[in-house]
Amino acid sequence: MGKTAGVRTVATGAGFAGDRIEPAVALAASGYVDAVILECLAERTIVPGLRALRDNPEAGADPRLKRRLSPLLPVARKNNCRVITNLGAANAAAAGRAIAKLAGDLGCSGMRVAAVVGDDVLALKDRIEWEEPITGNFLGARAYLGIAALAEAIEGGADVVVTGRAADSSLFVADLVPHLESGIDVLAGAIAAGHVLECSAQVTGGIYEPPGGGGLDAMSYAHLGYPLARVAADGSAEISILEDAPGLVDRMTCTLQLLYEVHDPSKYITPDAVLDFTGITFEEVGKNRVRMSGATAGPPPRKLKVSGFVEYEGAIADLEIAYAGNGAYERAQIGADILRERLKDWDEKDIQIDLVGVNSVLGSASPPTNAYPAEVRVHVSARCADMDAAQIVEDEIYGLTIAGPAVGCGVRSERRPRLDVISGFVPRELVKTHVEWSEAP
Amino acid sequence: MKVRVGDIASGRAGDKGPILDLTLVAKDKESYKLLERGVTADVAQKAINQVAPGPVVRYEVPGLNALKFVAPEALPGGIYATLHAGLHWQKTSVWILLDLEIGAD
Repeated sequence: MGKTAGVRTVATGAGFAGDRIEPAVALAASGYVDAVILECLAERTIVPGLRALRDNPEAGADPRLKRRLSPLLPVARKNNCRVITNLGAANAAAAGRAIAKLAGDLGCSGMRVAAVVGDDVLALKDRIEWEEPITGNFLGARAYLGIAALAEAIEGGADVVVTGRAADSSLFVADLVPHLESGIDVLAGAIAAGHVLECSAQVTGGIYEPPGGGGLDAMSYAHLGYPLARVAADGSAEISILEDAPGLVDRMTCTLQLLYEVHDPSKYITPDAVLDFTGITFEEVGKNRVRMSGATAGPPPRKLKVSGFVEYEGAIADLEIAYAGNGAYERAQIGADILRERLKDWDEKDIQIDLVGVNSVLGSASPPTNAYPAEVRVHVSARCADMDAAQIVEDEIYGLTIAGPAVGCGVRSERRPRLDVISGFVPRELVKTHVEWSEAP
Repeated sequence: MKVRVGDIASGRAGDKGPILDLTLVAKDKESYKLLERGVTADVAQKAINQVAPGPVVRYEVPGLNALKFVAPEALPGGIYATLHAGLHWQKTSVWILLDLEIGAD
């Protein structure tokens, strides 16, 4: 494989905030990837950034930025591979400055960094159509930017493009646009390819079990190759992985990822177009190589999606206690019944008590256990209006270690903040973006 | 003859806000026909409602041998409001469909 005229190759170096570091480096080092995309911003992962930004105007970027980019930037520069990322999280402008400085420290003098700023729509709070009323402590509101916002950075020849909230697929498509023929269905093909790539390992065999069972072995998962797409000027694409990387790219993995989280497959809404995936076909053209074509689309929506971040008082207390040995299952059931009695004043909708290893994940949809469990954990989660209430639940679990069946142990205890992400829509012309350029010294 | 869905299809679960979004992809056209008949929106809703509330809408993508099941009220308050152990239980909820047995007795 090598660079092919008329084909632009984009690849996924990361698909979530905590994703592996080395796939991006391997893709950039291959020499034929034109742009590597690091998609590191889930709905929730912007929240710590929003909190940090309130206390410090230079804070709010992804805390892994330095660790993730240090091994990548020199390799990307050497191989003329653009880096596009949402590592800006809650503060793309500060991230742009930090990346330029980091590039300088790494010997990449002159590297040009474009920060695409403007996803923060908190000031438009009252003009956003929220799907639910906003209550609780409002932490911020961010609009999903599309390719229009990223275009200036791409056309200006940025080596690194960093932003905050943007549609995941737009991070891929922005790089492709100058290489595409015109036409909405051409764009649709590129968006569909970006969508297939945006969750990294999920299209290369990660979390995939073929019909009837099986899957990759542990060593393949441990060193899984991440995906790349060779996108032709007509918007068709070939999805694959590096030739020496373990993984699986086939019709099944591509279909599962194409349809992932799209709801109605004939009306998948992105800032750049409303897509119809129902005419897409996948053709296996070689080992771990799948050709994709047939996406169509209608014009972009007139409003951009917004996420509003809300925090409520109190916490969710989530605890477990273990029972082991012969009789563990029965003792765990007694432990759970004790908690139900001790916490019976709790509103039913605010508390859940079940058994880890039996029914804590799928509840009453769990299949029956077909072997006697060697150990069982009693789990309780409770929605607590304040920290005193959380303490009460925690004390009751610990109470089982002396006033319950013989004998509970291995208590795990967690308090999670009570967050919610409220969707809204804002007229796109109200969202003003701009690019802040910086250069590595 | 009864067949387990997971023996003829793969699945994946996703979410957005309160919406649970499940996908089944059949291994071939014949299996897709079985799924299309056996995993109706009603069948899926009954199974999903054992652990998550609300209606289920089905979308068919015959060209890709795939069905989608979208449950817009299944995750009240979003995934961070869950009272299941840990976060992200919904990622494995597609097993509710994969473990269904479909077809005539």
